Amino acid sequence: MRKLREMLRRSLRADHERLLDTAADARSTRPAPGPADPLADLLRAAAAPARERELAGEEAAVAAFRDAHRPAGAVSATRRRRHRGFTAGAVAWIAGLAATATAGAALAAVGLDRAGPPSPPAVTTSPAAPVPSTSVGTPTGKPAAEPAAAPNAPTAPTPSTARADGPTGDAATVPPSPTPHAPVTPNPEATTQVGPGNSDNTTDRPGLCRAYLAKSERQREKALRTPAFNELVVAAGGAEHVEEYCRGLRAESTANPTTGP
Amino acid sequence: MTGELSRQVEAARAGDEDAFRHLYRSLQPGLLRYLTALVGADAEDVASETWLQVARDLPTFTGGEFRAWAVTIARNRAMDHLRRQRRRPALPVPVQELSEMAGDADTAERAGESLGTEAALAMIASLPPREAEAVLLRAVIGLDAETAGRVLGRRAGAVRTAAHRGLRRLALLLDQRGAATTSAGSDDVPTVPTGDARPRQRAGLPPQAEPVDG
Repeated sequence: MRKLREMLRRSLRADHERLLDTAADARSTRPAPGPADPLADLLRAAAAPARERELAGEEAAVAAFRDAHRPAGAVSATRRRRHRGFTAGAVAWIAGLAATATAGAALAAVGLDRAGPPSPPAVTTSPAAPVPSTSVGTPTGKPAAEPAAAPNAPTAPTPSTARADGPTGDAATVPPSPTPHAPVTPNPEATTQVGPGNSDNTTDRPGLCRAYLAKSERQREKALRTPAFNELVVAAGGAEHVEEYCRGLRAESTANPTTGP
Repeated sequence: MTGELSRQVEAARAGDEDAFRHLYRSLQPGLLRYLTALVGADAEDVASETWLQVARDLPTFTGGEFRAWAVTIARNRAMDHLRRQRRRPALPVPVQELSEMAGDADTAERAGESLGTEAALAMIASLPPREAEAVLLRAVIGLDAETAGRVLGRRAGAVRTAAHRGLRRLALLLDQRGAATTSAGSDDVPTVPTGDARPRQRAGLPPQAEPVDG
């Protein structure tokens, strides 16, 4: 008797496994003819093909994808943010050290420069300049030693000097830099971009905006009450300004020629 | 199907937008349904957060089961969401709201079907969280027991048992539902369209109960 019950239980369990296995695959097929099985019907209904409104977020998702896979220069910020774990932490930390070190050199240099010819102000260096993100990604050694890169793109050496500089302990690379006060400005910038605290996607405001703009009126209102979009509310200076802010951001990014696909 | 899926994943990783779109379309419905069982009405928000992260992290995806990877992200997002919710003054979604969602959602689609998708999902969501998750990952997302176990941080055997118990409970609910339909007219038994909320209460568990972590 007990054996029989055990057998029944096993066979029921096997039936269930079969039901679970077939439910998702049965999406496209109509219920198989045969004895009506309400449980199979239920699972089939639960795994039914997509309804229109379930795919409402498609454009937002694709936009996020496009954003993440934008080619060349425009992607560098995103990609750099993606460097996580030890590398990001180490680079940020070393960059911080380099900032401190070069700040001293910069102060000294400013003092010297006063007497010399006027040098281009550090502020004009565009933060978009840090070119090939590959120089960050590949541990190729000391690109900073290349003299060609230094004068034109003072921002570029920041991560690479830090990299070449830190592990080897070769502190001599920093002081002789041709424009010592230049790296001082971009350094904090680099730190905020690669900082380990920023790995969360909440810093992706264009992405958030795109997600926000892709929503319907009703959903937008609801979305702004969620913590995910809270940053947008703060950045825009109030829930009622978010749309304006996002449109502005979008116009800005479309106006920028480098962001084209 | 799995071969097709991994081909699409490869293409998407290489930047193919259409491939990504395809991934979205094939996974999103199941993801949304799963998330609805976890976080209720906020599922859509959690799903879009999930896709933002999937789009961003796709290049770091190192292979394996794509769906399991994406569902793990979704589940983590849902847990974060519930944690944040717990910190704020709680505003639990009342059972009525869920059953209204189930009711008004797709009446048209339901016509002619014995049981609508929303009603079916509402019934599954009424199960104890472990069982609901196991059933949804297996039947709706289409993961096998091993993969579902990896997502849930449990052994495949435990997933099988949970799913099995869940189905037994669902069969029981369906029986009661069937009995209710045949004896329609008496006061305390609901008729089919409004019956959604009833089995959930009979199961005796709040639909918002948090899935057990780990």
